[in-house]
Amino acid sequence: MSIMPRGPARTVIDRRAFLRLIGLAGGTAVLAACGTSPPLEVGERVTVSFWTPGGGGEFCAQLDAIAKDFQQHSPGIHIGPTQCGTGEQEFTEVLLARIAADNAPDAAILWTSPAALAARGALQPLDQLIQTAQYALAENWPPAVLASCRFTGKNYGLPVTAGSCGLWYNREMFEHKGIPAGRDNFPKTWEELRRLSQEFTFWKGDRLEIAGFIPWHVAEELPIWSALNGAQLYDAANRRYTIDAERNVAMMAYAVDWLNQEYRGDFAQVLRSGNWEGYELAGRKPAFMDGRQAMVLAYSWNVGDTAHAQSTFRWDVARFPVGPSGHQTVAGYWPNWLVIPKGARHVAQAFTWLDYLSGVGVQAWFRHFPDLPANRLVPRDLLPAGLVAGKGEAFAQDIMTFFRDQLDIATPMWDSPVQDFATDQIRRALERIMHKVATPKNALAEAQKVCQGALEKVFKSGA
Amino acid sequence: MPLMPGQRADRGALRRREARTGLLFVLPWLLSLLIFTACPVLAAFYLSFTEYNVVQPPRWVGLQNYRTMLTADPAFWISVKNTAAYTLLAVPLGLVGSLALALLLNLRVRGLGVYRTLVYLPALAPPVASTIIFICMFDSEGGLINAALRQVGLPALGWLNDPTWSKPALVLMSLWGLGAGALIFLAGLQEIPQALLEAATMDGAGPWLRFRHITLPLLTPVILFNLVIGVIGSFHVFTPALVSGGTTGKPLESTLMLMVHIYRHAFRYFAMGYASALAVVLFLAVLMATWAIFRSARAWLYEVGDDRRG
Repeated sequence: MSIMPRGPARTVIDRRAFLRLIGLAGGTAVLAACGTSPPLEVGERVTVSFWTPGGGGEFCAQLDAIAKDFQQHSPGIHIGPTQCGTGEQEFTEVLLARIAADNAPDAAILWTSPAALAARGALQPLDQLIQTAQYALAENWPPAVLASCRFTGKNYGLPVTAGSCGLWYNREMFEHKGIPAGRDNFPKTWEELRRLSQEFTFWKGDRLEIAGFIPWHVAEELPIWSALNGAQLYDAANRRYTIDAERNVAMMAYAVDWLNQEYRGDFAQVLRSGNWEGYELAGRKPAFMDGRQAMVLAYSWNVGDTAHAQSTFRWDVARFPVGPSGHQTVAGYWPNWLVIPKGARHVAQAFTWLDYLSGVGVQAWFRHFPDLPANRLVPRDLLPAGLVAGKGEAFAQDIMTFFRDQLDIATPMWDSPVQDFATDQIRRALERIMHKVATPKNALAEAQKVCQGALEKVFKSGA
Repeated sequence: MPLMPGQRADRGALRRREARTGLLFVLPWLLSLLIFTACPVLAAFYLSFTEYNVVQPPRWVGLQNYRTMLTADPAFWISVKNTAAYTLLAVPLGLVGSLALALLLNLRVRGLGVYRTLVYLPALAPPVASTIIFICMFDSEGGLINAALRQVGLPALGWLNDPTWSKPALVLMSLWGLGAGALIFLAGLQEIPQALLEAATMDGAGPWLRFRHITLPLLTPVILFNLVIGVIGSFHVFTPALVSGGTTGKPLESTLMLMVHIYRHAFRYFAMGYASALAVVLFLAVLMATWAIFRSARAWLYEVGDDRRG
């Protein structure tokens, strides 16, 4: 022992002993931090930790404000300050690492398909909790949207918001050409859409000056076009990909034919001429907002964007036309999911919070960030203030009713346990087809092979 | 004066005590090296023989990941080809560019401190931010670079939208960070004895001969350093490739670099085992390239006292 008596009333600690004590104290602190929390006493207030992948300071402040409201309804549950992203580290990586270390947050928002994380044993199944929910009962969600949370028959998340999509069109461009601009007059088939698109498309030398509609080329949207043509890319019930199904090959052949006929067969030139997507891309404003594109597939969250809400031109949204082999229109969606990671300490309390967020909190969320609430109990007269101010209440109500209805006819998406891998493979295939490096048949067959291989690997590994 | 046996023993004890103290001082660094660098490196070697998704325990699969990589993953070969092409373009251009900058910064002109600061500043810019700025500059429609090309009567290029020009665009982006290499060259230039240059001048050597026969040979150790660092950096090119080409290496996989391929398997597909195998291969490739450079340096590295004359 190095605590040496030096005289009758003095105890001197030498440097080694001091270092040892520091080490001991540090070790104790580390062990305490890593240890599990003690069991709760009855009536004890619980703190639920809550993570989101990001969204910015304002978004997280809004979540904190919702949490404060929630605490008034459930005084026994305290929601900790929202963990707003994980800094420079990948959110999912950090979340998985925390789950593996048995130190997971109690609840989280996900931007990655719950099916993919559930397949890796990272999430808590929620079925029993959903049965006792106030807002999140299974019947309160559009079936196809809730399907994005299912894996091997169990439910692993709540699709708290799901931006739905439609075909946005510039009414003034239609009227200028003498084309009826009512939603009911909008093309009902791909053939009609293609004919209409040609009315607008205009080249100036090598530059595509104005486009009607650019046929499907975005991987995340392909399940919608496939369903419109009576097919699907992933069959969750039978655990198989169907990317190279005959109707999907025909769908892509149709797109290439359209490209050849209306866009000179040169997709690179089309891309060089403008941003034809429904969002800003690499600093380029969407051509639709510049009056250079008559129709574009875009999502409901655009209604919160000032450029759309206060645009100088009149726009509207229509349902998707049906493909040659399809029989009914469908829509697509892009959610924010709520999940409870495996190993969460306070599962029941976390679910109470997520249930509240699904039915009540999401309304405040929508007022500030117009991600479309997916729960059917959320009032349908909830309108984005910016759109009301810019275009009037009647128009705003009509548009929001349209988007809520779109969720009811949505096709299942985001439901594969190898979702991101498959999206990348489909994106690769689409690029190769549109740039004519591969035929639709070959490119889709290649994607099918690797996606099915990856899927089987996940199921074989015991998922 | 010879030491007495007792004195020798005292000195030995003193050395040991000093060594222990020194070790204690470097212990935090050594521990962090072991825990945060050596352990993950060893773990990556082990994980490369497993199937591992972070949450579930790793499952031993032997050489399966390496077999898949070499025989069943065409994207691996595409990423290897892209990374090699990028390295072959970016490293020589980077070396020549930074040496040229260093030569300029070595001139005796007014405001030299300001120029040196300005040249180094880009190296401090956050890579994502600078890549986004470059993406805007390379924009085929409204970008500054195409505007400049049009001004001088040259055709506009597709740059990051065109598979032919996307890699050259990434190489041009890499030149943005030349300042760091230039400063190292500058330090090397300032080590060159003025007497040698003056003697050569008196013997009638012009600027080119002085550069060719004095400056360049004496700079070869610095060239070797910058070459090795440049090759390692190019093998690890990631941020510009990911930000501009996404996880699929748009357009047409032309910007799919090996690091992006590793990243997407690790953090997008949760296939840590396979990503570890890719990382091990990258490590071996870097090791071999570095070894080859050092071997080749025997032929061109000029050391003081060496009797070769370039």
